Amino acid sequence: MKVALTVWENRISPVFDSARMLLIAEIENAMIVGKRYEPFQPDLPFYRAATLFELGVTVLICGAVSHLFANMIEACGIRIIPFVAGEANEILDAYLKQMPVSRIFRMPGCRNRRRNRFNRRMRFQKI
Amino acid sequence: MKKGDFKQIPPGVTEIILESISDGVFTVDHKWRITSFNRAAEKITGIPREEAIGKHCWEVFRSSICETDCALRRTMKQGKPFVDSSTYIVNYEKNRVPVVVCTSLLKDEKGTVVGGVETFRDMSLVEELRRKLDARFQVGDMVSRSPSMHKIFTVLPQVADSDSTVLIQGETGTGKELLARAIHELSPRRQKPFIAINCGALPDTLLESELFGYKAGAFTNAIKDKPGYFALAEGGTIFLDEINDVSAAFQVRLLRVLQERTFHPLGATRTVKADVRVIAASNKSLADMVKTGAFRQDLFYRINVVPLALPPLRERKEDIPLLVDRFINRLNLLRGKTVAGIRQEALSLLMSHNYPGNIRELENIIEHAFVLCPKGRIEPNCLPDSLINPIPRAPVHETIDAALKSVETHAILDSLKRNSYNRLATARDLGMHKTTLFRKIKSLGIDLPEIDGRSNRKKLVKVASTQL
Repeated sequence: MKVALTVWENRISPVFDSARMLLIAEIENAMIVGKRYEPFQPDLPFYRAATLFELGVTVLICGAVSHLFANMIEACGIRIIPFVAGEANEILDAYLKQMPVSRIFRMPGCRNRRRNRFNRRMRFQKI
Repeated sequence: MKKGDFKQIPPGVTEIILESISDGVFTVDHKWRITSFNRAAEKITGIPREEAIGKHCWEVFRSSICETDCALRRTMKQGKPFVDSSTYIVNYEKNRVPVVVCTSLLKDEKGTVVGGVETFRDMSLVEELRRKLDARFQVGDMVSRSPSMHKIFTVLPQVADSDSTVLIQGETGTGKELLARAIHELSPRRQKPFIAINCGALPDTLLESELFGYKAGAFTNAIKDKPGYFALAEGGTIFLDEINDVSAAFQVRLLRVLQERTFHPLGATRTVKADVRVIAASNKSLADMVKTGAFRQDLFYRINVVPLALPPLRERKEDIPLLVDRFINRLNLLRGKTVAGIRQEALSLLMSHNYPGNIRELENIIEHAFVLCPKGRIEPNCLPDSLINPIPRAPVHETIDAALKSVETHAILDSLKRNSYNRLATARDLGMHKTTLFRKIKSLGIDLPEIDGRSNRKKLVKVASTQL
Protein backbone atom coordinates (compact mmCIF):
# COMPACT_ATOMS: atom_id res chain seq x y z
CA MET A 1 0.00 0.00 0.00
CA LYS A 2 1.03 3.58 -0.54
CA VAL A 3 0.71 6.28 2.09
CA ALA A 4 1.06 9.92 1.05
CA LEU A 5 1.90 12.81 3.38
CA THR A 6 1.74 16.44 2.27
CA VAL A 7 5.05 17.83 3.52
CA TRP A 8 6.74 21.16 4.00
CA GLU A 9 10.24 21.47 5.54
CA ASN A 10 10.00 17.84 6.80
CA ARG A 11 6.74 18.68 8.55
CA ILE A 12 3.17 18.11 7.53
CA SER A 13 1.94 21.02 5.40
CA PRO A 14 -0.44 23.20 7.40
CA VAL A 15 -3.05 23.29 4.61
CA PHE A 16 -3.55 20.45 2.14
CA ASP A 17 -5.30 22.73 -0.39
CA SER A 18 -2.08 24.72 -0.94
CA ALA A 19 0.54 22.00 -0.24
CA ARG A 20 3.34 21.74 -2.80
CA MET A 21 5.09 18.44 -2.00
CA LEU A 22 4.08 14.84 -1.35
CA LEU A 23 6.06 12.25 0.54
CA ILE A 24 5.02 8.84 -0.75
CA ALA A 25 5.86 5.82 1.37
CA GLU A 26 5.40 2.30 0.04
CA ILE A 27 4.55 -0.07 2.87
CA GLU A 28 4.71 -3.87 2.86
CA ASN A 29 4.25 -6.02 5.96
CA ALA A 30 4.39 -2.95 8.25
CA MET A 31 7.79 -1.96 6.74
CA ILE A 32 8.69 0.96 4.51
CA VAL A 33 10.09 -0.52 1.27
CA GLY A 34 10.36 2.74 -0.65
CA LYS A 35 10.09 6.46 0.00
CA ARG A 36 10.09 9.29 -2.50
CA TYR A 37 9.07 12.91 -2.86
CA GLU A 38 6.66 14.01 -5.58
CA PRO A 39 5.87 17.62 -6.50
CA PHE A 40 2.19 18.33 -5.95
CA GLN A 41 1.44 21.28 -8.20
CA PRO A 42 -2.13 21.41 -9.43
CA ASP A 43 -4.38 23.63 -7.32
CA LEU A 44 -7.75 22.36 -8.42
CA PRO A 45 -9.59 19.78 -6.28
CA PHE A 46 -10.26 17.36 -9.12
CA TYR A 47 -6.63 17.33 -10.32
CA ARG A 48 -5.26 16.94 -6.78
CA ALA A 49 -7.51 13.95 -6.21
CA ALA A 50 -6.66 12.54 -9.65
CA THR A 51 -2.90 12.87 -8.99
CA LEU A 52 -3.21 10.93 -5.73
CA PHE A 53 -5.32 8.30 -7.45
CA GLU A 54 -2.84 7.93 -10.33
CA LEU A 55 0.02 7.53 -7.86
CA GLY A 56 -1.87 4.62 -6.31
CA VAL A 57 -2.18 6.28 -2.89
CA THR A 58 -4.60 4.55 -0.50
CA VAL A 59 -4.07 6.66 2.63
CA LEU A 60 -3.43 10.39 2.83
CA ILE A 61 -2.08 12.05 5.98
CA CYS A 62 -2.39 15.82 5.81
CA GLY A 63 -3.00 19.04 7.70
CA ALA A 64 -6.15 21.15 7.44
CA VAL A 65 -8.22 20.31 4.37
CA SER A 66 -11.32 22.01 3.01
CA HIS A 67 -14.58 20.20 2.25
CA LEU A 68 -14.32 20.24 -1.52
CA PHE A 69 -10.83 18.73 -1.59
CA ALA A 70 -11.68 16.15 1.10
CA ASN A 71 -14.82 15.05 -0.71
CA MET A 72 -13.02 14.70 -4.04
CA ILE A 73 -10.27 12.59 -2.48
CA GLU A 74 -12.67 10.37 -0.57
CA ALA A 75 -14.69 9.92 -3.76
CA CYS A 76 -11.52 8.41 -5.30
CA GLY A 77 -11.53 5.78 -2.54
CA ILE A 78 -8.60 7.31 -0.64
CA ARG A 79 -8.77 7.36 3.17
CA ILE A 80 -7.85 10.72 4.69
CA ILE A 81 -6.30 11.31 8.10
CA PRO A 82 -6.69 15.12 8.26
CA PHE A 83 -5.73 17.88 10.71
CA VAL A 84 -2.40 16.27 11.56
CA ALA A 85 0.66 18.36 12.53
CA GLY A 86 4.26 17.50 13.30
CA GLU A 87 7.42 15.86 11.87
CA ALA A 88 6.60 13.75 8.82
CA ASN A 89 8.92 10.86 9.72
CA GLU A 90 7.65 10.66 13.30
CA ILE A 91 4.09 10.53 12.03
CA LEU A 92 4.98 7.85 9.49
CA ASP A 93 6.65 5.75 12.21
CA ALA A 94 3.58 6.11 14.42
CA TYR A 95 1.36 5.06 11.51
CA LEU A 96 3.51 1.96 10.92
CA LYS A 97 3.18 1.04 14.59
CA GLN A 98 -0.60 1.41 14.17
CA MET A 99 -0.70 4.19 16.75
CA PRO A 100 -3.67 6.62 16.64
CA VAL A 101 -2.00 9.29 14.47
CA SER A 102 -5.04 11.55 14.33
CA ARG A 103 -5.15 11.70 18.15
CA ILE A 104 -1.42 11.97 18.91
CA PHE A 105 -0.52 14.49 16.23
CA ARG A 106 -3.76 16.43 15.97
CA MET A 107 -3.67 20.12 15.18
CA PRO A 108 -4.65 22.58 17.94
CA GLY A 109 -8.37 23.13 18.32
CA CYS A 110 -9.28 19.83 16.72
CA ARG A 111 -10.29 17.97 19.87
CA ASN A 112 -14.05 17.46 19.79
CA ARG A 113 -14.72 17.52 23.53
CA ARG A 114 -12.76 20.71 24.12
CA ARG A 115 -14.03 22.32 20.94
CA ASN A 116 -17.59 21.78 22.05
CA ARG A 117 -16.83 23.21 25.46
CA PHE A 118 -15.14 26.18 23.79
CA ASN A 119 -18.03 26.72 21.41
CA ARG A 120 -20.47 26.55 24.30
CA ARG A 121 -18.41 29.18 26.13
CA MET A 122 -18.29 31.36 23.00
CA ARG A 123 -22.05 31.15 22.55
CA PHE A 124 -22.76 32.81 25.87
CA GLN A 125 -20.02 35.42 25.75
CA LYS A 126 -20.22 38.16 23.22
CA ILE A 127 -17.07 39.78 21.88
CA MET B 1 -8.15 69.50 28.28
CA LYS B 2 -4.99 71.24 29.42
CA LYS B 3 -1.63 69.97 28.34
CA GLY B 4 -0.69 69.09 31.89
CA ASP B 5 -3.86 67.00 32.37
CA PHE B 6 -2.65 64.29 29.95
CA LYS B 7 -2.30 60.98 31.77
CA GLN B 8 -0.19 58.00 30.69
CA ILE B 9 -2.25 54.93 29.78
CA PRO B 10 -1.79 52.50 32.68
CA PRO B 11 -0.19 49.12 31.96
CA GLY B 12 -2.69 46.37 31.16
CA VAL B 13 -4.96 48.62 29.12
CA THR B 14 -3.44 47.34 25.87
CA GLU B 15 -4.60 43.86 26.77
CA ILE B 16 -8.14 45.13 27.44
CA ILE B 17 -8.12 46.88 24.06
CA LEU B 18 -6.87 43.76 22.29
CA GLU B 19 -9.59 41.68 23.96
CA SER B 20 -12.33 44.09 22.92
CA ILE B 21 -11.55 44.48 19.20
CA SER B 22 -13.14 42.31 16.49
CA ASP B 23 -9.88 41.72 14.59
CA GLY B 24 -7.92 38.60 15.48
CA VAL B 25 -4.45 39.31 16.83
CA PHE B 26 -1.62 36.93 17.72
CA THR B 27 2.07 37.35 18.36
CA VAL B 28 4.94 34.95 17.73
CA ASP B 29 8.51 34.65 19.00
CA HIS B 30 11.58 34.00 16.85
CA LYS B 31 10.78 30.28 16.73
CA TRP B 32 7.31 31.00 15.27
CA ARG B 33 5.61 29.88 18.46
CA ILE B 34 2.47 31.75 19.46
CA THR B 35 2.99 33.94 22.54
CA SER B 36 -0.40 35.68 22.69
CA PHE B 37 -3.80 35.07 21.13
CA ASN B 38 -6.75 37.44 21.58
CA ARG B 39 -10.45 36.67 21.91
CA ALA B 40 -11.33 37.57 18.32
CA ALA B 41 -8.57 35.23 17.13
CA GLU B 42 -10.20 32.47 19.19
CA LYS B 43 -13.56 33.26 17.64
CA ILE B 44 -12.35 33.40 14.03
CA THR B 45 -10.11 30.32 14.14
CA GLY B 46 -12.29 28.35 16.56
CA ILE B 47 -9.22 27.50 18.63
CA PRO B 48 -9.14 28.23 22.40
CA ARG B 49 -6.24 30.38 23.57
CA GLU B 50 -4.83 27.74 25.92
CA GLU B 51 -4.44 25.36 22.97
CA ALA B 52 -2.93 27.97 20.67
CA ILE B 53 -0.24 29.39 22.99
CA GLY B 54 3.13 27.71 22.49
CA LYS B 55 2.16 26.06 19.19
CA HIS B 56 3.68 26.89 15.81
CA CYS B 57 1.67 29.67 14.21
CA TRP B 58 1.00 27.68 10.98
CA GLU B 59 -0.59 24.83 12.98
CA VAL B 60 -3.02 27.31 14.52
CA PHE B 61 -3.59 29.85 11.76
CA ARG B 62 -3.65 27.29 8.86
CA SER B 63 -3.85 29.78 6.02
CA SER B 64 -3.23 29.10 2.34
CA ILE B 65 -0.19 31.42 2.37
CA CYS B 66 1.56 29.86 5.43
CA GLU B 67 3.66 27.52 3.31
CA THR B 68 4.40 29.56 0.22
CA ASP B 69 4.10 33.25 1.00
CA CYS B 70 3.85 33.82 4.75
CA ALA B 71 3.32 37.54 5.41
CA LEU B 72 4.81 37.29 8.91
CA ARG B 73 7.95 35.59 7.57
CA ARG B 74 8.34 38.39 4.99
CA THR B 75 7.95 40.99 7.73
CA MET B 76 10.56 39.31 9.93
CA LYS B 77 12.93 38.96 6.99
CA GLN B 78 12.54 42.44 5.52
CA GLY B 79 11.87 44.27 8.78
CA LYS B 80 8.84 46.09 7.42
CA PRO B 81 5.08 45.69 7.90
CA PHE B 82 2.73 44.23 5.27
CA VAL B 83 -0.92 45.21 5.09
CA ASP B 84 -4.03 43.66 3.57
CA SER B 85 -2.78 40.33 2.24
CA SER B 86 -5.88 38.39 1.22
CA THR B 87 -5.99 34.70 2.01
CA TYR B 88 -8.19 32.06 3.61
CA ILE B 89 -7.84 29.87 6.66
CA VAL B 90 -9.24 26.34 6.99
CA ASN B 91 -11.10 25.69 10.25
CA TYR B 92 -11.82 22.34 11.89
CA GLU B 93 -15.22 22.17 10.17
CA LYS B 94 -13.22 22.05 6.90
CA ASN B 95 -14.61 25.45 5.92
CA ARG B 96 -12.53 28.09 4.25
CA VAL B 97 -12.75 31.41 6.09
CA PRO B 98 -11.61 34.37 3.94
CA VAL B 99 -9.36 36.74 5.89
CA VAL B 100 -7.27 39.84 5.31
CA VAL B 101 -3.92 39.80 7.10
CA CYS B 102 -1.62 42.59 8.35
CA THR B 103 1.79 41.89 9.88
CA SER B 104 4.45 43.92 11.64
CA LEU B 105 7.49 43.48 13.89
CA LEU B 106 7.06 43.17 17.64
CA LYS B 107 9.64 45.24 19.56
CA ASP B 108 10.32 45.73 23.25
CA GLU B 109 10.89 49.10 25.03
CA LYS B 110 14.51 49.18 23.84
CA GLY B 111 13.53 48.61 20.21
CA THR B 112 14.83 45.06 20.07
CA VAL B 113 12.79 42.78 17.82
CA VAL B 114 11.21 40.11 20.01
CA GLY B 115 8.96 38.57 17.39
CA GLY B 116 6.11 39.42 15.05
CA VAL B 117 2.47 40.39 15.33
CA GLU B 118 -0.27 39.35 12.94
CA THR B 119 -3.75 40.83 12.83
CA PHE B 120 -6.47 39.31 10.68
CA ARG B 121 -10.03 40.21 9.83
CA ASP B 122 -12.83 37.78 9.00
CA MET B 123 -14.10 38.67 5.52
CA SER B 124 -16.88 36.05 5.34
CA LEU B 125 -19.65 38.64 5.43
CA VAL B 126 -17.96 40.81 2.80
CA GLU B 127 -17.50 37.76 0.56
CA GLU B 128 -21.12 36.78 0.99
CA LEU B 129 -22.27 40.27 0.07
CA ARG B 130 -19.94 40.25 -2.93
CA ARG B 131 -21.40 36.92 -4.06
CA LYS B 132 -24.91 38.34 -3.74
CA LEU B 133 -23.91 41.40 -5.75
CA ASP B 134 -22.36 39.20 -8.43
CA ALA B 135 -25.56 37.16 -8.56
CA ARG B 136 -27.39 40.30 -9.68
CA PHE B 137 -25.33 40.21 -12.87
CA GLN B 138 -25.99 36.56 -13.59
CA VAL B 139 -28.88 34.60 -15.00
CA GLY B 140 -28.25 30.95 -15.80
CA ASP B 141 -24.88 30.84 -17.53
CA MET B 142 -25.11 34.47 -18.69
CA VAL B 143 -23.27 37.28 -16.98
CA SER B 144 -23.58 40.96 -17.76
CA ARG B 145 -23.35 44.38 -16.18
CA SER B 146 -24.74 46.25 -19.18
CA PRO B 147 -28.07 48.09 -18.81
CA SER B 148 -29.44 46.55 -22.03
CA MET B 149 -28.81 43.03 -20.74
CA HIS B 150 -30.13 43.99 -17.32
CA LYS B 151 -33.45 44.87 -18.89
CA ILE B 152 -33.60 41.33 -20.28
CA PHE B 153 -32.52 39.80 -16.94
CA THR B 154 -35.26 41.76 -15.14
CA VAL B 155 -38.10 40.50 -17.33
CA LEU B 156 -36.70 36.98 -17.71
CA PRO B 157 -38.45 35.44 -14.65
CA GLN B 158 -41.85 36.66 -15.90
CA VAL B 159 -41.06 35.53 -19.45
CA ALA B 160 -39.98 32.12 -18.16
CA ASP B 161 -43.06 31.79 -15.97
CA SER B 162 -45.41 32.36 -18.89
CA ASP B 163 -45.79 29.63 -21.47
CA SER B 164 -45.61 32.03 -24.42
CA THR B 165 -43.45 31.52 -27.48
CA VAL B 166 -40.26 33.58 -27.32
CA LEU B 167 -38.31 35.01 -30.23
CA ILE B 168 -34.66 35.75 -29.48
CA GLN B 169 -32.89 37.92 -32.02
CA GLY B 170 -29.22 38.75 -32.02
CA GLU B 171 -26.06 38.44 -34.05
CA THR B 172 -24.20 35.17 -34.16
CA GLY B 173 -22.30 34.42 -30.95
CA THR B 174 -24.36 36.67 -28.68
CA GLY B 175 -25.59 33.77 -26.54
CA LYS B 176 -29.05 33.06 -27.91
CA GLU B 177 -28.95 29.41 -26.87
CA LEU B 178 -27.72 30.34 -23.38
CA LEU B 179 -30.66 32.72 -23.03
CA ALA B 180 -33.09 30.04 -24.23
CA ARG B 181 -31.58 27.59 -21.74
CA ALA B 182 -31.87 30.20 -18.95
CA ILE B 183 -35.56 30.70 -19.79
CA HIS B 184 -36.11 26.92 -19.66
CA GLU B 185 -34.21 26.62 -16.34
CA LEU B 186 -36.36 29.37 -14.79
CA SER B 187 -39.63 28.02 -16.17
CA PRO B 188 -42.02 25.50 -14.59
CA ARG B 189 -40.88 23.10 -17.36
CA ARG B 190 -37.30 22.94 -15.99
CA GLN B 191 -37.66 19.28 -14.87
CA LYS B 192 -38.53 18.30 -18.46
CA PRO B 193 -36.17 18.16 -21.46
CA PHE B 194 -34.64 21.15 -23.24
CA ILE B 195 -33.89 20.30 -26.86
CA ALA B 196 -32.00 22.66 -29.15
CA ILE B 197 -31.95 22.22 -32.90
CA ASN B 198 -30.24 24.30 -35.56
CA CYS B 199 -32.78 24.67 -38.36
CA GLY B 200 -30.19 26.11 -40.75
CA ALA B 201 -27.99 23.02 -40.51
CA LEU B 202 -30.49 20.55 -42.01
CA PRO B 203 -32.26 20.32 -45.35
CA ASP B 204 -36.07 20.49 -45.30
CA THR B 205 -36.83 16.77 -45.56
CA LEU B 206 -34.35 15.84 -42.86
CA LEU B 207 -35.53 18.68 -40.62
CA GLU B 208 -39.09 17.45 -40.92
CA SER B 209 -38.21 13.89 -39.88
CA GLU B 210 -35.94 15.17 -37.10
CA LEU B 211 -38.56 17.52 -35.66
CA PHE B 212 -41.72 15.47 -36.11
CA GLY B 213 -40.33 11.91 -36.33
CA TYR B 214 -41.57 9.18 -38.65
CA LYS B 215 -43.45 5.90 -38.69
CA ALA B 216 -42.04 2.57 -39.85
CA GLY B 217 -42.41 2.28 -43.62
CA ALA B 218 -42.74 6.02 -44.17
CA PHE B 219 -39.79 5.85 -46.58
CA THR B 220 -37.07 3.42 -47.63
CA ASN B 221 -35.02 2.18 -44.64
CA ALA B 222 -37.57 3.53 -42.13
CA ILE B 223 -37.74 0.12 -40.48
CA LYS B 224 -39.11 1.27 -37.14
CA ASP B 225 -40.85 4.28 -35.59
CA LYS B 226 -38.61 7.19 -34.66
CA PRO B 227 -39.85 9.92 -32.35
CA GLY B 228 -39.02 13.48 -33.40
CA TYR B 229 -37.62 16.28 -31.26
CA PHE B 230 -41.14 17.59 -30.58
CA ALA B 231 -42.08 14.21 -29.09
CA LEU B 232 -38.79 13.95 -27.16
CA ALA B 233 -39.27 17.44 -25.71
CA GLU B 234 -42.76 16.54 -24.43
CA GLY B 235 -43.57 18.76 -21.45
CA GLY B 236 -40.31 20.68 -21.93
CA THR B 237 -38.89 23.30 -24.28
CA ILE B 238 -37.73 23.11 -27.87
CA PHE B 239 -35.26 25.71 -29.13
CA LEU B 240 -35.37 26.36 -32.88
CA ASP B 241 -32.13 28.18 -33.69
CA GLU B 242 -31.63 30.06 -36.98
CA ILE B 243 -35.33 29.87 -37.79
CA ASN B 244 -34.67 32.53 -40.45
CA ASP B 245 -32.98 29.82 -42.56
CA VAL B 246 -35.96 27.48 -42.94
CA SER B 247 -37.61 27.27 -46.35
CA ALA B 248 -40.97 28.83 -47.17
CA ALA B 249 -42.56 25.37 -47.40
CA PHE B 250 -41.32 24.36 -43.97
CA GLN B 251 -42.44 27.65 -42.49
CA VAL B 252 -46.02 26.59 -43.31
CA ARG B 253 -45.57 23.30 -41.40
CA LEU B 254 -44.10 25.13 -38.41
CA LEU B 255 -46.97 27.59 -38.44
CA ARG B 256 -49.43 24.72 -38.22
CA VAL B 257 -47.63 23.22 -35.22
CA LEU B 258 -47.52 26.56 -33.42
CA GLN B 259 -51.14 27.37 -34.19
CA GLU B 260 -52.75 24.06 -33.43
CA ARG B 261 -50.19 22.63 -31.04
CA THR B 262 -50.30 19.36 -32.97
CA PHE B 263 -47.91 17.75 -35.44
CA HIS B 264 -47.96 14.97 -37.94
CA PRO B 265 -45.08 12.44 -37.92
CA LEU B 266 -44.04 11.34 -41.42
CA GLY B 267 -46.15 8.39 -42.55
CA ALA B 268 -48.58 8.73 -39.61
CA THR B 269 -52.31 8.77 -40.11
CA ARG B 270 -53.10 10.68 -36.92
CA THR B 271 -51.89 13.95 -35.54
CA VAL B 272 -50.02 14.04 -32.24
CA LYS B 273 -50.56 16.67 -29.55
CA ALA B 274 -47.47 18.68 -28.65
CA ASP B 275 -47.14 20.01 -25.11
CA VAL B 276 -43.92 21.84 -25.87
CA ARG B 277 -42.86 25.41 -25.34
CA VAL B 278 -41.20 26.87 -28.42
CA ILE B 279 -38.30 29.32 -28.26
CA ALA B 280 -37.11 30.49 -31.67
CA ALA B 281 -33.96 32.41 -32.50
CA SER B 282 -32.77 34.33 -35.49
CA ASN B 283 -29.48 36.02 -36.31
CA LYS B 284 -31.23 38.36 -38.78
CA SER B 285 -34.06 40.80 -38.30
CA LEU B 286 -37.19 38.75 -39.06
CA ALA B 287 -39.21 41.97 -39.40
CA ASP B 288 -36.91 43.03 -42.27
CA MET B 289 -37.17 39.57 -43.80
CA VAL B 290 -40.95 39.83 -43.65
CA LYS B 291 -40.73 43.16 -45.49
CA THR B 292 -38.64 41.62 -48.26
CA GLY B 293 -40.91 38.57 -48.38
CA ALA B 294 -38.17 36.16 -47.27
CA PHE B 295 -40.13 35.15 -44.15
CA ARG B 296 -43.84 34.48 -43.76
CA GLN B 297 -45.69 37.26 -42.00
CA ASP B 298 -48.16 34.92 -40.24
CA LEU B 299 -45.35 32.75 -38.83
CA PHE B 300 -43.49 35.88 -37.74
CA TYR B 301 -46.48 37.10 -35.75
CA ARG B 302 -46.98 33.62 -34.34
CA ILE B 303 -43.44 33.41 -32.94
CA ASN B 304 -42.95 37.09 -32.15
CA VAL B 305 -45.06 36.87 -28.97
CA VAL B 306 -42.27 37.82 -26.56
CA PRO B 307 -39.36 39.28 -28.54
CA LEU B 308 -35.97 39.54 -26.82
CA ALA B 309 -33.09 41.30 -28.59
CA LEU B 310 -29.58 40.37 -27.49
CA PRO B 311 -27.16 43.26 -28.03
CA PRO B 312 -23.86 42.51 -29.78
CA LEU B 313 -20.71 42.54 -27.64
CA ARG B 314 -19.44 45.78 -29.21
CA GLU B 315 -22.49 47.53 -27.68
CA ARG B 316 -21.80 46.17 -24.19
CA LYS B 317 -18.06 46.31 -23.89
CA GLU B 318 -18.36 46.86 -20.13
CA ASP B 319 -19.05 43.11 -19.96
CA ILE B 320 -15.66 42.15 -21.44
CA PRO B 321 -13.73 42.05 -18.09
CA LEU B 322 -16.54 40.01 -16.50
CA LEU B 323 -16.67 37.58 -19.42
CA VAL B 324 -12.87 37.28 -19.56
CA ASP B 325 -12.78 36.35 -15.85
CA ARG B 326 -15.48 33.79 -16.42
CA PHE B 327 -13.71 32.20 -19.40
CA ILE B 328 -10.41 32.10 -17.49
CA ASN B 329 -12.07 30.35 -14.53
CA ARG B 330 -13.82 27.87 -16.80
CA LEU B 331 -10.69 27.07 -18.84
CA ASN B 332 -8.62 26.74 -15.65
CA LEU B 333 -11.08 24.08 -14.49
CA LEU B 334 -11.25 22.34 -17.86
CA ARG B 335 -7.54 22.35 -18.65
CA GLY B 336 -6.14 22.14 -15.12
CA LYS B 337 -4.17 25.36 -15.56
CA THR B 338 -3.51 28.17 -13.13
CA VAL B 339 -3.96 31.34 -15.15
CA ALA B 340 -4.45 34.06 -12.53
CA GLY B 341 -6.05 36.70 -14.76
CA ILE B 342 -5.25 39.15 -17.50
CA ARG B 343 -2.81 42.06 -17.61
CA GLN B 344 -4.29 45.54 -18.00
CA GLU B 345 -2.50 46.07 -21.36
CA ALA B 346 -3.98 42.84 -22.74
CA LEU B 347 -7.43 43.79 -21.44
CA SER B 348 -7.11 47.21 -23.15
CA LEU B 349 -6.44 45.42 -26.45
CA LEU B 350 -9.53 43.27 -25.92
CA MET B 351 -11.61 46.36 -25.12
CA SER B 352 -10.54 48.09 -28.34
CA HIS B 353 -11.58 45.17 -30.59
CA ASN B 354 -14.87 45.26 -32.50
CA TYR B 355 -15.95 41.58 -32.07
CA PRO B 356 -17.84 40.69 -35.25
CA GLY B 357 -18.03 37.15 -33.80
CA ASN B 358 -19.30 38.49 -30.46
CA ILE B 359 -18.87 36.46 -27.23
CA ARG B 360 -17.87 33.32 -29.11
CA GLU B 361 -14.97 35.25 -30.64
CA LEU B 362 -13.91 36.54 -27.21
CA GLU B 363 -14.02 33.00 -25.83
CA ASN B 364 -11.82 31.78 -28.68
CA ILE B 365 -9.35 34.62 -28.06
CA ILE B 366 -9.04 33.59 -24.39
CA GLU B 367 -8.64 29.94 -25.41
CA HIS B 368 -5.86 31.02 -27.79
CA ALA B 369 -4.20 32.91 -24.93
CA PHE B 370 -4.41 29.80 -22.73
CA VAL B 371 -2.31 27.86 -25.22
CA LEU B 372 0.48 30.43 -25.04
CA CYS B 373 0.05 31.47 -21.39
CA PRO B 374 -0.50 28.36 -19.24
CA LYS B 375 0.05 30.21 -15.94
CA GLY B 376 0.46 33.67 -14.48
CA ARG B 377 -1.46 36.49 -16.13
CA ILE B 378 -2.38 36.70 -19.81
CA GLU B 379 0.09 39.07 -21.50
CA PRO B 380 -0.62 41.09 -24.67
CA ASN B 381 1.75 38.82 -26.64
CA CYS B 382 -0.45 35.80 -25.78
CA LEU B 383 -3.34 37.31 -27.76
CA PRO B 384 -3.87 36.61 -31.48
CA ASP B 385 -1.84 38.74 -33.93
CA SER B 386 -5.00 40.26 -35.40
CA LEU B 387 -5.66 41.90 -32.03
CA ILE B 388 -2.12 43.10 -31.43
CA ASN B 389 -1.89 44.78 -34.87
CA PRO B 390 -5.53 45.47 -35.70
CA ILE B 391 -5.17 48.31 -38.20
CA PRO B 392 -1.97 49.07 -40.08
CA ARG B 393 -1.28 52.54 -38.76
CA ALA B 394 0.18 55.37 -40.79
CA PRO B 395 3.96 55.68 -40.37
CA VAL B 396 4.96 58.24 -37.75
CA HIS B 397 6.93 60.36 -40.18
CA GLU B 398 3.89 60.94 -42.43
CA THR B 399 2.44 64.39 -42.84
CA ILE B 400 -0.78 65.38 -41.07
CA ASP B 401 -2.65 65.29 -44.42
CA ALA B 402 -1.65 61.67 -45.02
CA ALA B 403 -2.66 60.70 -41.49
CA LEU B 404 -6.07 62.36 -41.92
CA LYS B 405 -6.57 60.59 -45.24
CA SER B 406 -5.72 57.25 -43.63
CA VAL B 407 -8.26 57.81 -40.84
CA GLU B 408 -10.92 58.89 -43.38
CA THR B 409 -10.27 55.79 -45.49
CA HIS B 410 -10.70 53.47 -42.49
CA ALA B 411 -13.87 55.24 -41.35
CA ILE B 412 -15.46 55.02 -44.81
CA LEU B 413 -14.44 51.38 -45.31
CA ASP B 414 -15.78 50.39 -41.87
CA SER B 415 -19.07 52.15 -42.50
CA LEU B 416 -19.40 50.58 -45.97
CA LYS B 417 -18.90 47.11 -44.47
CA ARG B 418 -21.43 47.85 -41.74
CA ASN B 419 -24.00 48.92 -44.32
CA SER B 420 -23.37 46.03 -46.72
CA TYR B 421 -21.70 48.43 -49.21
CA ASN B 422 -24.90 50.44 -49.65
CA ARG B 423 -23.53 53.90 -50.52
CA LEU B 424 -26.61 55.88 -49.49
CA ALA B 425 -26.83 54.19 -46.09
CA THR B 426 -23.08 54.71 -45.63
CA ALA B 427 -23.40 58.42 -46.40
CA ARG B 428 -26.22 58.70 -43.87
CA ASP B 429 -24.18 56.73 -41.34
CA LEU B 430 -21.21 59.05 -41.76
CA GLY B 431 -23.39 62.16 -41.68
CA MET B 432 -22.50 63.39 -45.17
CA HIS B 433 -24.26 63.82 -48.51
CA LYS B 434 -23.97 60.90 -50.93
CA THR B 435 -22.15 63.07 -53.50
CA THR B 436 -19.57 64.01 -50.83
CA LEU B 437 -19.12 60.28 -50.11
CA PHE B 438 -18.62 59.47 -53.83
CA ARG B 439 -16.14 62.36 -54.14
CA LYS B 440 -14.20 61.11 -51.10
CA ILE B 441 -14.20 57.48 -52.34
CA LYS B 442 -12.77 58.72 -55.64
CA SER B 443 -10.19 61.10 -54.16
CA LEU B 444 -8.99 58.61 -51.52
CA GLY B 445 -8.75 55.86 -54.15
CA ILE B 446 -10.91 53.40 -52.20
CA ASP B 447 -11.48 50.18 -54.13
CA LEU B 448 -15.05 49.01 -53.82
CA PRO B 449 -16.30 45.47 -54.43
CA GLU B 450 -18.76 44.83 -57.23
CA ILE B 451 -21.67 44.22 -54.87
CA ASP B 452 -23.55 47.10 -53.34
CA GLY B 453 -26.57 47.40 -51.04
CA ARG B 454 -28.79 48.51 -53.92
CA SER B 455 -28.14 45.50 -56.13
CA ASN B 456 -28.76 43.20 -53.13
CA ARG B 457 -32.04 44.85 -52.39
CA LYS B 458 -33.14 44.62 -55.99
CA LYS B 459 -32.31 40.93 -56.04
CA LEU B 460 -34.23 40.34 -52.81
CA VAL B 461 -37.26 42.22 -54.12
CA LYS B 462 -37.07 40.15 -57.32
CA VAL B 463 -36.89 36.89 -55.30
CA ALA B 464 -39.76 38.01 -53.11
CA SER B 465 -41.96 38.91 -56.06
CA THR B 466 -41.33 35.55 -57.74
CA GLN B 467 -42.21 33.74 -54.47
CA LEU B 468 -45.44 35.68 -54.11
